[in-house]
Amino acid sequence: MLRRDTIFKGAMLLPLVVLCGYFLLLVGSQSAFFSMTDFLEQIGQKDIRSAIALSLIAATASTVIAVIIAIPAAYALARIDFPGKRLVDTFIDLPMVLTPIALGTLILMSWNTSIGRLLSDIGITLPFTFAGIILAQFTVVVAISVRMLKATFEQVDPRQEQVARLLGCSAFESFLHVTLPLARRGILAAIILTWARAIGEFGATVMVAGTARGQTATLPSSIYLAMSMADLPRAVTLVVILIGISLLVLFGVRMVPESRG
Amino acid sequence: MIRIEQLTTRQGSFTLGPIDLDLGESSYLTILGPSGAGKTLFLEACMGLLTAHSGRVWINGTDVTHIPPEQRHISYLPQDLALFPHLGVKENILFGARHRKVDKELAESRLGELLDLLDLHGIVNRHDVTSLSGGEKQRVALARALLPGPRLLFLDEPFSALDATIRRQLQVSLREINRQLGVTILHVTHDQEEAFMLGERIAVMIAGRLRQIGDRDNIYYQPESLDVANFLRNQNIYDTTVAAIAADGSLQMENSITGAPSYPGAQVGDHVAVGIRSEEIVIIRSNKPIGPELQQNLFDGTVKDILAFGGTHTLIVEVLSTGTCVDVELPNCAMRDLGYNIGDELQICLRRHSLWTIKKEVNDVAV
Repeated sequence: MLRRDTIFKGAMLLPLVVLCGYFLLLVGSQSAFFSMTDFLEQIGQKDIRSAIALSLIAATASTVIAVIIAIPAAYALARIDFPGKRLVDTFIDLPMVLTPIALGTLILMSWNTSIGRLLSDIGITLPFTFAGIILAQFTVVVAISVRMLKATFEQVDPRQEQVARLLGCSAFESFLHVTLPLARRGILAAIILTWARAIGEFGATVMVAGTARGQTATLPSSIYLAMSMADLPRAVTLVVILIGISLLVLFGVRMVPESRG
Repeated sequence: MIRIEQLTTRQGSFTLGPIDLDLGESSYLTILGPSGAGKTLFLEACMGLLTAHSGRVWINGTDVTHIPPEQRHISYLPQDLALFPHLGVKENILFGARHRKVDKELAESRLGELLDLLDLHGIVNRHDVTSLSGGEKQRVALARALLPGPRLLFLDEPFSALDATIRRQLQVSLREINRQLGVTILHVTHDQEEAFMLGERIAVMIAGRLRQIGDRDNIYYQPESLDVANFLRNQNIYDTTVAAIAADGSLQMENSITGAPSYPGAQVGDHVAVGIRSEEIVIIRSNKPIGPELQQNLFDGTVKDILAFGGTHTLIVEVLSTGTCVDVELPNCAMRDLGYNIGDELQICLRRHSLWTIKKEVNDVAV
């Protein structure tokens, strides 16, 4: 019996070990091309610093907008019954299944409609601008945010909200004082993962904002540019920075304190 | 205090009501019913957590049917307690006071009273409510419900997850709360012992309808329908027919039972169920004189089986003349004195004042 258990555990652990080994190989292979001198030299360049700053700011902005919209939307999907809810629930996942390139194309095409032209006429221009990067990232990440937050709100016991109502809270106060604190850990995790997805976004961003160095080139699009010009030291530097940011984010998720709920 | 008129609501395919109920100031009503009877749904509809499909809910003369839950001033203790895990014990208890804008001094004074009443001094400063024991959680949730000073308290199977000792302590506390604080309590439960112990009046809910409302004796000894009788574990229910109506109005049955209570419109030939609780059956001992009330409905029988429970024994007695089996419940001490064994012969009396009669409808089924 004990032997069978050991074999079972071994069979389950083996793919995990292989997967970790594969990821370590991918990351470790960078060291063959990495030199600290190149790294320091590259990082001192203005357009790389610009790409880092642009990525950080755009990812933060798109995450903030996505989460502000996703919190009420996810709560509505988790708690409120309305006609066509299943349809809406499915439709909202569209950006998750559509390739980002196609999403970027959709954004660009929508700019050629009368609404897009109207916005252009009043001075709001999105293609090939910083605002375009935010819109592209937002479009890609908002569905992830809604999906994660919906699961979070579904885990909050509705009975606690009901008790809060009967103890004098309005629906909004109950949401504010009971639901949000109880969903805190899930919300933080959603914010971090949304941000991580936004900072790594490439397809839609390139389609909407292009890859103008020092202007609209983000970290992922700068990696693409560097590789397409066979500028390996530059590409490796950017990849290392992106790995550093990604690892920080992943460990950040793990560090979010356990909710007492 | 609270009046419910023709209240109906729906959840999926289940329909609740129509329900009429009137609950006076400082009263204690238990709603007793099996799981799935609609008890929680009824509370939710009264509290405004669920939209009433039709009917009205009045609290202190005000129609609250369409006002939000927070304005109905009903406190609620759900089955799972729903303590707020992100708040400490004290913050949980004071939550309602904070949101009902209860004066700070008044809230502190009530807090002190409740800590005394519910013996919470030892845990009031605990920060993690999830680490409390079941009984402690229960008392904290009760204190939270009581602190805003409600006139109405709704309890939804609050003690179902507790062991017997703690349950009894909290039941005693509830009676004190009802008496000392004058809170009107509506308490739903499937536990018959709890319902009879706590409720001044008891309402039996089956399949979304209140089938009978009355005091303990009325519900326990005089069920008005077969499903109520079955739910209240009446073991001795017999299908029979009215053979004659006596001069005093009592009924004589075809199965030889006499002196059964009548019902409106009783007629000879009516199909009825006649019943008696097993603990109301008297064993006649030949060496002892018997009073006039025990000289009717005497049946000779044989002990077919003996079932032992915690504090009682049940004799399964087969009546010799009809072959019918009758459950006779005896306390352990009486069983020890009488010393019956399987196969012993004895005489039993179905006391007429303990009998009940229900006219059978087409769909009624006796057990």
